[in-house]
Amino acid sequence: MMEIIESKHWIEWIITIAKFAFAFVPILFILLLIPMERRGAGFIQDRQGPNRSYIKIPYFGRIRLFGWVQNACDGTKLFFKEMFAPAGVNKWIYMLAPAIPFAIVLISPCVIPWFAPMVFEFGGQVIKIPGMTVDTEVGILLLFGLSSLSAYGAVLAGWASKSKFSLLGGLRTSAMTISYEVCLGLCLMGMLLLAGTFRIDEIIAWQDANVWGIVAQPVAFFCFLIAMIAETGRAPFDVAEGEPELVAGFHTEYGAMQFGLFYMGEYSHIGINSILVACLFLGGYSIPFVSMETVQSNLGISLGVLCGVCAVAVLAFLHLLYRYARWYKTCKASNKEVILREYSLYKILGWCAVVVFAVLGVLSAVFIHPEVQMVNGEAVYGIGVALGTALIQILVLLVKAVFFCWVWIWVRWTLPRFRYDHVMHLGWKILLNIAILNLVVTAIAAKLLGGN
Amino acid sequence: MVRQVKQKPMNWVERLYVFEALRGLFTTLKHALRGLLRYETLPTVPYPEMKPEIPRNYRARHRLMLRPDGTPRCVACGMCAAACPAHCIYIEAAETEDPRIEKAPARFDIDHLVCVFCGLCVEACPVDALRMDTCETSYVHPKRDDFVAPMFDLMTWDPKTYPQNDSQSQMAPGGTLNQQALDAWGMKVN
Repeated sequence: MMEIIESKHWIEWIITIAKFAFAFVPILFILLLIPMERRGAGFIQDRQGPNRSYIKIPYFGRIRLFGWVQNACDGTKLFFKEMFAPAGVNKWIYMLAPAIPFAIVLISPCVIPWFAPMVFEFGGQVIKIPGMTVDTEVGILLLFGLSSLSAYGAVLAGWASKSKFSLLGGLRTSAMTISYEVCLGLCLMGMLLLAGTFRIDEIIAWQDANVWGIVAQPVAFFCFLIAMIAETGRAPFDVAEGEPELVAGFHTEYGAMQFGLFYMGEYSHIGINSILVACLFLGGYSIPFVSMETVQSNLGISLGVLCGVCAVAVLAFLHLLYRYARWYKTCKASNKEVILREYSLYKILGWCAVVVFAVLGVLSAVFIHPEVQMVNGEAVYGIGVALGTALIQILVLLVKAVFFCWVWIWVRWTLPRFRYDHVMHLGWKILLNIAILNLVVTAIAAKLLGGN
Repeated sequence: MVRQVKQKPMNWVERLYVFEALRGLFTTLKHALRGLLRYETLPTVPYPEMKPEIPRNYRARHRLMLRPDGTPRCVACGMCAAACPAHCIYIEAAETEDPRIEKAPARFDIDHLVCVFCGLCVEACPVDALRMDTCETSYVHPKRDDFVAPMFDLMTWDPKTYPQNDSQSQMAPGGTLNQQALDAWGMKVN
């Protein structure tokens, strides 16, 4: 035991343990996705979306946070409701089922690389830390195995609920998962063939060195996205919980936080899948046209640019805020004083943030000059540079993932639900064939062009 | 006669679904961006704080028009009650002390829970005593009985925003603008 502990430097242990915190990133995605979904749906349908819930701050007034408080309201309501099981259910399975998708969500991000492998010099040693929590050769296969396990939650829920609707929903979920996992795997194979590895960080390194997956494998990307949406069981593929036919599908008999767990499991599944698509086809944490070496050798300027981007984002937010405020000043709403007061708070915070970002950006661009050491002909920097690069890379990855989260919501509120046989037809007779064809063409092209 | 509607068959691009789906996505994206960037142009309003504009000719809650002396114009003929498809108007006629007036309502109730707001009562009224131009579309009461508006409620409508230069109408209630009526009745008001 001691040998294992002593085989690594203590800083390596600390970072390795700290990486477990990434397990909670999909949970954070729930916080992002629920308001994004509800207000995004509202805007798509020319509504306002839920924006009424507020927090009362003493001596100031009410703040609504543009509808983000709704999360807390939903959560609190679900949490304090009675957990009710109908008569005749299989108690153990009924109670266990909602926990399965949610537990898997905590485990499955373990093979996603959040940053390129950190190589830095610390205490006279060169330390190398991989970007994923679990550094394994199996890589993406583990992720797929785990995420298809979450279908067990739906199947068991459907079975244990002792309701025909639930059972049908569970059946449909299992059928969909099986059908679309096949397409998913085959679409992925083209990418794996090009990169020649199962490890996601090496796939990203390949994309960084050559082209992004979306350029190299556009057909696979498209099929992969469709199969992913189908696998999460969202519209237009949400036949498993099709309201007109099955009430609510497998979670018909669930309420309170048990339903909440299904709900959160679904959303964080979307989060994980978005990160995965971003990793496989959009270059993951790699920044377009800028190599990691450039970022590391000019870390001060890179952080300065990052701060600049943040400042511009805050300025855009302020612009929207001033627009809304100008409209509220002229409108006849009886609560406009309250809202304008809230907006004035945001304006103060926003301008402070702009100033802070600008100052930080200039300071880092001027004062951060990383010291470089040459070890075995490779440039190695200190731990500060490694952490700074990792920060930039995590943010880049999250931005790409959030874009795909929006794609999920966008598709859901645009396309009508497919009929069940259409879904199966699409999965087995169209997507599967395209995926196989894509794989064959990729294999031939890779062989002819002298790839892996 | 049966009218046959010919639908254009989809061409092969449309039958592929993918391109049409992308077009749909573009449409929804436009709407989403409108909500985000041009929030103030959303057609919905935050309701209790902001009321939608209701046009003057919208069939809203009823009101009884008044004579210059403040009595209701209604002559209790019962035509509105006869015309009402929902049978929500209840009228009790009574004699008046004024020799020029044959009948006047002693009770005039409209049950707004039963009313279908069709406006037939307004059409039926021979003396233009009943109108539905109050623009009050939502009213809340704690009890069901309170929704039955008695004559007093129908007469006491405060026309806060009624247009002054509306030639079609007298100012209601009180009717200070209807000079013709004042002349005919030979009265001074206020």
